[in-house]
Amino acid sequence: MIRFSKILFAFIIVVQLFWLLPWFYHFTTDTPTHIPFTLYSIVNNDFACLDYNSEKGIKYTDRRGNIYTNRQFDSILPLFYFRQLASDGRLPDSLNGVEITPQKIRTSNFMFRLSASEVNVKKTPLHPLLESMSGRVDLKMPDDVCRFTDSGIEFIDMATNTIKQKKSKLFTSLMKKKGFEFPLNCIGGNPTNRKDFDDGYFLTDAKHQLFHLKQVCGRPFCRFIALPDSMKIKHIIVREFAARKFHALLVDTSNRLWVLDMPDYTLHLLPINEYNPQKHDLEIIGDMFNWTISLSKADKVEVFALNAADYSFIDSLQYLSPPSIPHQLGHYIFPFEIKFTSYDDQYTYPRLTDFSAKACCLWALLIMIVLFLIYKQTH
Amino acid sequence: MIQENVIECKNLTHYYDKHLIYENLSFNVPYGHIFGLLGKNGTGKTTTINILNGYLQPKSGECRIFGENIQQMTSETRRRMALLIEGHVQYSFMTIEEIEKFYSAFYPRWEKAVYYELMNKLKIAPKQRICHMSCGQRSQVALGLILAQHAELLILDDFSLGLDPGYRRLFIEYLKEYATAENQTIFLTSHIIQDMERLIDDCIIMDYGKILVQKSVQELMNKFCRYTFSVNQSIGGLPNDSELYNSSVIRGHAETYSFSKADYIEGWLKNCGIEYSEFKTEYLDLEDIFIGLTGKY
Amino acid sequence: MKKAILYKEWIKTRLYFPISLAISLAFIVFLILRLQRVAHFKGVEHIWNIMLSHDVIFIELLNFVPVVLGSLLAIVQFIPEMQQKRLKLTLHLPFNQQKMILIMLSVGFGEILLIYLVNYSVLYTYLQSILAPELTGRILITSLPWYICGITVYLLTAWICLEPTWKRRFVNLFLSCGIIRIFFMNDVPQSYDSFLFALSIFTLSCLFLPLLSVDRFKMGKQDLS
Repeated sequence: MIRFSKILFAFIIVVQLFWLLPWFYHFTTDTPTHIPFTLYSIVNNDFACLDYNSEKGIKYTDRRGNIYTNRQFDSILPLFYFRQLASDGRLPDSLNGVEITPQKIRTSNFMFRLSASEVNVKKTPLHPLLESMSGRVDLKMPDDVCRFTDSGIEFIDMATNTIKQKKSKLFTSLMKKKGFEFPLNCIGGNPTNRKDFDDGYFLTDAKHQLFHLKQVCGRPFCRFIALPDSMKIKHIIVREFAARKFHALLVDTSNRLWVLDMPDYTLHLLPINEYNPQKHDLEIIGDMFNWTISLSKADKVEVFALNAADYSFIDSLQYLSPPSIPHQLGHYIFPFEIKFTSYDDQYTYPRLTDFSAKACCLWALLIMIVLFLIYKQTH
Repeated sequence: MIQENVIECKNLTHYYDKHLIYENLSFNVPYGHIFGLLGKNGTGKTTTINILNGYLQPKSGECRIFGENIQQMTSETRRRMALLIEGHVQYSFMTIEEIEKFYSAFYPRWEKAVYYELMNKLKIAPKQRICHMSCGQRSQVALGLILAQHAELLILDDFSLGLDPGYRRLFIEYLKEYATAENQTIFLTSHIIQDMERLIDDCIIMDYGKILVQKSVQELMNKFCRYTFSVNQSIGGLPNDSELYNSSVIRGHAETYSFSKADYIEGWLKNCGIEYSEFKTEYLDLEDIFIGLTGKY
Repeated sequence: MKKAILYKEWIKTRLYFPISLAISLAFIVFLILRLQRVAHFKGVEHIWNIMLSHDVIFIELLNFVPVVLGSLLAIVQFIPEMQQKRLKLTLHLPFNQQKMILIMLSVGFGEILLIYLVNYSVLYTYLQSILAPELTGRILITSLPWYICGITVYLLTAWICLEPTWKRRFVNLFLSCGIIRIFFMNDVPQSYDSFLFALSIFTLSCLFLPLLSVDRFKMGKQDLS
């Protein structure tokens, strides 16, 4: 037992050394990395970048290296800075032959971010299903939530904590009638009343078939959505933007991002690189002409400009974020690092990261030198 | 099989860091004897007790109790040994009833009556916790607990610490009575020598880093004497001699201690050319012997 | 003999045990009353909706309660053993020393476990009456690392208390702080789910750490006074 205690003691020391020392090293040496805020300019037909530097301040530029003033920058991104332009009286009446007004721009603009840490988190498998057609302007949270079981959907009345049998049966029978095979596989929704309208949930069943589920006037609405052959959805993003341009963004098991258009449920594959919601951060800033999609990956940020009308590819650029010098130096000091948390998820568990063969060799060499010196001294 | 010696220690050497406590300490405690390890504070008495109980590994040397190496002492052997820790330390969060109930479970030969006989002499409430008792009362509780164990060997570390003469005497009388009646072996340490001659059979008297003497008390009292005589006031001190201990001269009054007879001392004085008068030989009690051997400082 | 060891440990903790049980229950009752108040003012649906839309479990106040209770129990149980080196008495008893220390630890372990089980039962009984099993489970599973930490802290404090030298005691304290930190690195609900089993195994293995301190005590490692 004492031997076990000693091993445990040594284990605790080793874990803490490889956890706390690298942490302290990074804590004291880490420098901020700035990736310029980048948007596709409808005016320049190029990416416009806003770069922040702690020494030089904010720099407005484009890919060709042109430097802009603050006011000029507003002008080349009129749909993003429309409020400033409108306030200055500089908002053009039309762009690319399309008439624009602040109201139109506001309605068509949207922006959303989805980080891997928001995806990699344990969620409660209870879903409030809002009333999509209440007849009121403001949405109201429902008095029940639903859960998916192996054989159906159950609505639980929150006030009494009891199952609403009638409603559950009604929804289950309709879903089954529409071909939904329980249990649920994947679900995406936006259960909040702080949005312009409610579009319910998009969900895949045991056979990876996609369905749209809503509550309309207290009645179930369930629609089967045909997918290309062998396409399996692993993540569904639903955001009800005022423009009502798309129902949902879908990510398949090959890490391709699709848009499910509104109102005809047509699917469009977005011409961007691989997007894995579990590993990458996604940001989409859309307006009536373009979508700028940024994918933040471990060592780079990929930016894509797409045509908002047909999702065709316009342009792309890439920012590499090479590790800083102290970070690279760290690879010579620490053979590996132990971390319990990650920026990419909300889980806590021990993970061995940053394994470095260089540091292993260096330490092996150092140990050999020390042993040699000890040997020389003792003999 | 009854061992001839209950405790056998061979060439014990111990250091605290680089500070030598003692070197090559060897002693045996025969069965049925009461053995005292006497010395001033800091001479290594508690260190020896700790080694004997397996709470300290000596730098070198070996100790056996009931023939068993103390480093691998079994609980059976520990059952045969009762231990009194310096300062009569006990589970002071218990009452006398609770502590009796606790200890009795570990010792099949437990004698409840012995314990309560001692407790009845104390004027304490049954629910009074040991921590709320006086030092003397605590010593009686500790004594009661070790006597009730009916152990073959009693190890007592500085049992006299903090006791007033009355409790010390009570402690010693009880201990002596039980040890004699039950033929128990006792190994004890003390830095207070008063009353000790009533108790112990053999002793080791320790000085810092060494053993001064290891003999039976009887032999010590019969052989170790103090010699006093007057010398010329101009003499500041007596020459060293391996037979003499702690010689001193204060204003022409000389004093020395020795195991040698008066003839030897007088012969030595003559050989050294020291003129003396009023030569006296005194037989001493154990406390004076201890001072004679260890010195007053 | 085992009974006697249990008896001694009970004597040491008999005052602390009901007090800590009462304190922990007071916290639970306070949390229940707070939830009741929210339910009364805003309706129980508000609790459901907040839990579903935010990383909130309404019992965050309990965070450090098990840790404090666990460390205090170890102090109550093992400081008396170390005062005046009383551990010598315990180790001198005719009983397997390691087994005895493990029994002593098991008593504290059992008591703290009992306190936590009572807490959990009360909390569960209330929560399941107003919340769906998914939400009740979310709250209880999220708080599980705090309770496992409480047990770990109990064992680590015992390890520190039983350590005979101050130098090593500080080393143990530093390492213990690191271990405790692991339990509080993330306050997102259910973020420890996949780590709970490993944490429980580690906690159980911490039962053996105090043996190391006792072994050092037996080797005579001590501060020179």
